[in-house]
Amino acid sequence: MNNSSRAPLPARLTVAGLVLLLATPIVITLIYSLSAQWGAHILPSGFTLDWYLSLWSDSRFLAAFGRSLLVCLAALLFSLLLILPTLFVVFYYFPRLKGVMNMVILLPFAVPPVVSSVGLLQLYAGGPLPLVGGPWILIFCYFTISLPFMYRALANNLEAINLPDLMDAAHLLGACTSRAFLQLVLPNIRNGLLAALFLSFSFLFGEFVFANMLVGTRFETLQVYLYSQRTGSGHFTSAMVMSYFLFIGLATWFALRLQKRSA
Amino acid sequence: MHYLEVANLTKSFNQTPVFNNISFDISQGEFITLLGPSGCGKSTLLRSLAGLITPDRGQIRVAGEDITWLKPQQRGIGMVFQSYALFPNLTVAGNIAFGLKMQRLDTKDIKRRVAEAVELVGLEGRESYYPASLSGGQRQRVALARALVVRPRILLLDEPLSALDAPIRKHLREQIRAIQQQLKLTTLFVTHDQEEALTLSDRVFVMNKGQIVQADTAEAVYTRPANDFVAGFMGNYNLLTPEQARQLLGLEIQGRLAVRPESIYIREPGRDYGPAMTPPVMASVASHQLLGNVIRYRIRAAGCLLTVDRLNRGADALLPAGSPLELLFDSTELKEVA
Repeated sequence: MNNSSRAPLPARLTVAGLVLLLATPIVITLIYSLSAQWGAHILPSGFTLDWYLSLWSDSRFLAAFGRSLLVCLAALLFSLLLILPTLFVVFYYFPRLKGVMNMVILLPFAVPPVVSSVGLLQLYAGGPLPLVGGPWILIFCYFTISLPFMYRALANNLEAINLPDLMDAAHLLGACTSRAFLQLVLPNIRNGLLAALFLSFSFLFGEFVFANMLVGTRFETLQVYLYSQRTGSGHFTSAMVMSYFLFIGLATWFALRLQKRSA
Repeated sequence: MHYLEVANLTKSFNQTPVFNNISFDISQGEFITLLGPSGCGKSTLLRSLAGLITPDRGQIRVAGEDITWLKPQQRGIGMVFQSYALFPNLTVAGNIAFGLKMQRLDTKDIKRRVAEAVELVGLEGRESYYPASLSGGQRQRVALARALVVRPRILLLDEPLSALDAPIRKHLREQIRAIQQQLKLTTLFVTHDQEEALTLSDRVFVMNKGQIVQADTAEAVYTRPANDFVAGFMGNYNLLTPEQARQLLGLEIQGRLAVRPESIYIREPGRDYGPAMTPPVMASVASHQLLGNVIRYRIRAAGCLLTVDRLNRGADALLPAGSPLELLFDSTELKEVA
């Protein structure tokens, strides 16, 4: 079943080369973030945790981190509130609309972020809804971006459980529709749901274009903060990148684990 | 009085009628099979009895109570689906207990009745398994237990065995019949398999194009088909045109002549076939097919090709293609159908 132990040398070299290529920048950033100074010699002169300590005690960093967290979670909450009932209604009552939904849900991808952010700027800079510069525009913007991820992941889960028969069986056993949804449908798509949430979160947490264009330093998120620090100490930004990487790595690992279990 | 009464039930989807003015009565404890080709409306009929589909017109009464417009939850009808429709997030015991929990029984009663139902379908020891780790036959038995445990007034089975392998299908079919007789449960069983229908039912309702074309005992439906559709669907009837009937047997008929393959005899010298036989007809073997205990011959006689079944009594008795022979027809088994 598993061929990896009998793989010929060229195959192993290919994998090793790829891992080396991908890991090198991360490893070097990690070393850089841990080194006291690394400039005069080929090896760093001494290691320290100072960069991490000063980063994690920097109130501006912590505030930016909190803002990113808030915006992402709020966006995911909204998309969950919209997508769950929509999916259920489409799959149960209007299965013919599935094809239409598959197209509609991809619309946020149709326009590149740079273009749509300019459009959003024009719409919401003034006028009746002056949202630019505040967290709300970012929340709503991220909300639309996360919809396709959430929809696809959940749709796959729903396809797998034969919703109409499941609901019919539940009705005949005396359950009303809302009860059947809560007790039978939701537990069955839970893993897919969590996986979709974590993946969207990792993606949104690292988003820069919309955050920079629509809000910038007026509601500084993590990526905007990172960008503003680009001229400062490289050790400091490396520590930030590594912290960010660890955080996102954890979220993604969690998502993949859940996905595997739901499959 | 009849237990389940259906009167003038009509349903159409987008102006296409699925069934039209269907009426029938079923007594308490009867096992009825709805038999018909796919698309004949039998599943839709079953689903409208369950309340999963709203009929356009008509009336459904159970024990005198009009349930035509009731929600599925209020009907007291259990159903088993071809796809099992088990709840993947619940264990075997959880699946079976679901309906009882909806009735808000107390935990002790639920436990006792789940245990009874598990025993009834022979799933002891699997209570804590999830559906994904069960075989198809086991899943369907969970579905059966889940439907039975709430003590429905009527049990509906929508092609419950179609997705299973032949040996399991046969075994489960006998088990379903035994449980049904033990509980004296009024049961409607939908199938397109005539063998299933014949072996299980008290009565068979043969459906075609949204109509019940014959409702009778298995014996009667098999030996006395009401029309050429039933004859064609049941067994492997030879259907002869009036022309063929005249050439072969000298019979003058209006409709078509239905002759079962086992009521045509290949004449063996020295055997007495009784007074009901027609005069011998000259024929010859065209081909044969071995079905196991039966050899199915295709036999050419007076310009028609007939299917004739004969018990397989060993290789010596096999007639090779081209063998001349004489056919005898049991005249009491010649049915004229519309």
